[in-house]
Amino acid sequence: MIKFTIFIFVFALVTLSFPLNAKETIVITGSSTIAPTLLDLAKLYEAKNKGVRIDVQTGGSSRGVADVRKDLAKIGMVSRALKADEKDLHAFTFATDGIAIIVHKTNSVSELTKEQIVDIYKGSITNWKVLGGADQKIVVVNKAEGRSTLELFIGFFGLKNSQIKADIVIGDNEQGIKTVSTNKNSIGYVSIGTAEYNASVGVPLKLLNFQGKSAKVENIKNGTYPLTRELNLITKLKPSGSIEGFIKFVLSPESTHVIKDHFFVPAY
Amino acid sequence: MERMTKFLAWLSAGILLLILVLMVQDIFVNSLRHFDFSFLSQDPLSGGRKGGIFPIIISTLLILGVCMIVIVPMGLGTALFLSEYSDEHPKVVHIVRKALEILSGVPSIVFGLFGNALFCVFLGFGFSIWSGGLTLAIMSMPLFIRTVEEGIRTIPKNYRLVPLSLGLGRTTTIRSIIIPYALPFVIVGGVLSIGRSLAETAALIFTSGYVDRMPESLSDSGRALSIHIYDLTMNVPGGDTNAYKTAMVLIVLIFITNGLFTIVLKTWYKKRIIL
Repeated sequence: MIKFTIFIFVFALVTLSFPLNAKETIVITGSSTIAPTLLDLAKLYEAKNKGVRIDVQTGGSSRGVADVRKDLAKIGMVSRALKADEKDLHAFTFATDGIAIIVHKTNSVSELTKEQIVDIYKGSITNWKVLGGADQKIVVVNKAEGRSTLELFIGFFGLKNSQIKADIVIGDNEQGIKTVSTNKNSIGYVSIGTAEYNASVGVPLKLLNFQGKSAKVENIKNGTYPLTRELNLITKLKPSGSIEGFIKFVLSPESTHVIKDHFFVPAY
Repeated sequence: MERMTKFLAWLSAGILLLILVLMVQDIFVNSLRHFDFSFLSQDPLSGGRKGGIFPIIISTLLILGVCMIVIVPMGLGTALFLSEYSDEHPKVVHIVRKALEILSGVPSIVFGLFGNALFCVFLGFGFSIWSGGLTLAIMSMPLFIRTVEEGIRTIPKNYRLVPLSLGLGRTTTIRSIIIPYALPFVIVGGVLSIGRSLAETAALIFTSGYVDRMPESLSDSGRALSIHIYDLTMNVPGGDTNAYKTAMVLIVLIFITNGLFTIVLKTWYKKRIIL
């Protein structure tokens, strides 16, 4: 009896270890911002190309770059422009994301200049009254070290993270939205798509105009909104075969509705 | 003084219970509002915002299965070694025990990165249920061994002396007396390990991976429930409702495993005279 059970176990393990029908597998790793979108795109592509499987993994943009270099992944996801020492890789920009400055819906301030934002984050302006709002102390919400949104934000405003006088430090977009929507005097910054979606479902948020441009997906599309980042797919070699096929699919109009579904702006 | 002690003890237990009740209540209230049983049988859609979690439940169970298949024989073996051979090899036993203590203090993300380096890259398993299950096995091994060993230590001395007086060898003693006696503790250790493994995110994200499709074999990548919850709350705008629902499924799963094994243990105790 015991021997029979062990036999069944081993047999099951061995059979389960081998896939029923071998398919070509493409591994994609990288940015956690892009991963959910790519997961959906991969499913669509798999449905049309039965012989191909696409495994999407996460870990962050830098991991995407490292894995592609080491050949652990065929395609990497990078949610920023490539750095100077990464120019040997092939990059394909498939979408754009913008950063919105957000405040609570009840805040009467609706536009800030670059200088004012710098002053708020450096701690030189500490009261909404100076900016035309209520006589309340400003609660500054900043992103945690290592986030690409933070990199983009401080890069654009010429700030150093050590200069920022933050009251609250947060991690992901969703957390930023939860923090600002529950604190009437706070100011923060998150991905525009996420902010627009939350505002549309009734979360008490206001997206501030920035340098005369309103923070809308539309303005990222026409290139007038200044605070944006590109979402890239990267490869080590010039893509060929089904890798090329998949990248072409992501860059084609067929994929735009999925990219929009995830609140990004398709490049095509 | 006596009353003070009693009050403090009650207070601590009360606060603990309150935390559990509040947490479970928050999750159940937020998920039952939108819950539908098709959630358990559908594939996730649109990054998990829509659809269900069927492939994710299956992946989680497969990962747990691999983990248990490794952990039970290896953990039982180590526990037997620690308890039965400690007189003959005190030095080795000491080193193994210290090693287990260190292992149990290592943060799970370290196991994740180690598992990725060893199983995924070095041994070439790639992102797969194998890699995830084996990493979990290494991670929860110390807890399992500790539980089983403590159990074996409670065996009364005459249980070992009687077979010795009958001239039976150590193999017979271990097989016919020690292991049957230790089985309930193996189950307790298993339940604790399953609990720890079900809650694990960091050790799995780089080993069993992120793919939310139905695994076709154990060499496929498969997403665990905890990773699904993490991704829905942190990366997917509008994923909160489904994150709550998944959390509820996870909690129910933990309740079921605990309940099931408690029943098994109880019937066991009734049947056996020696316990």
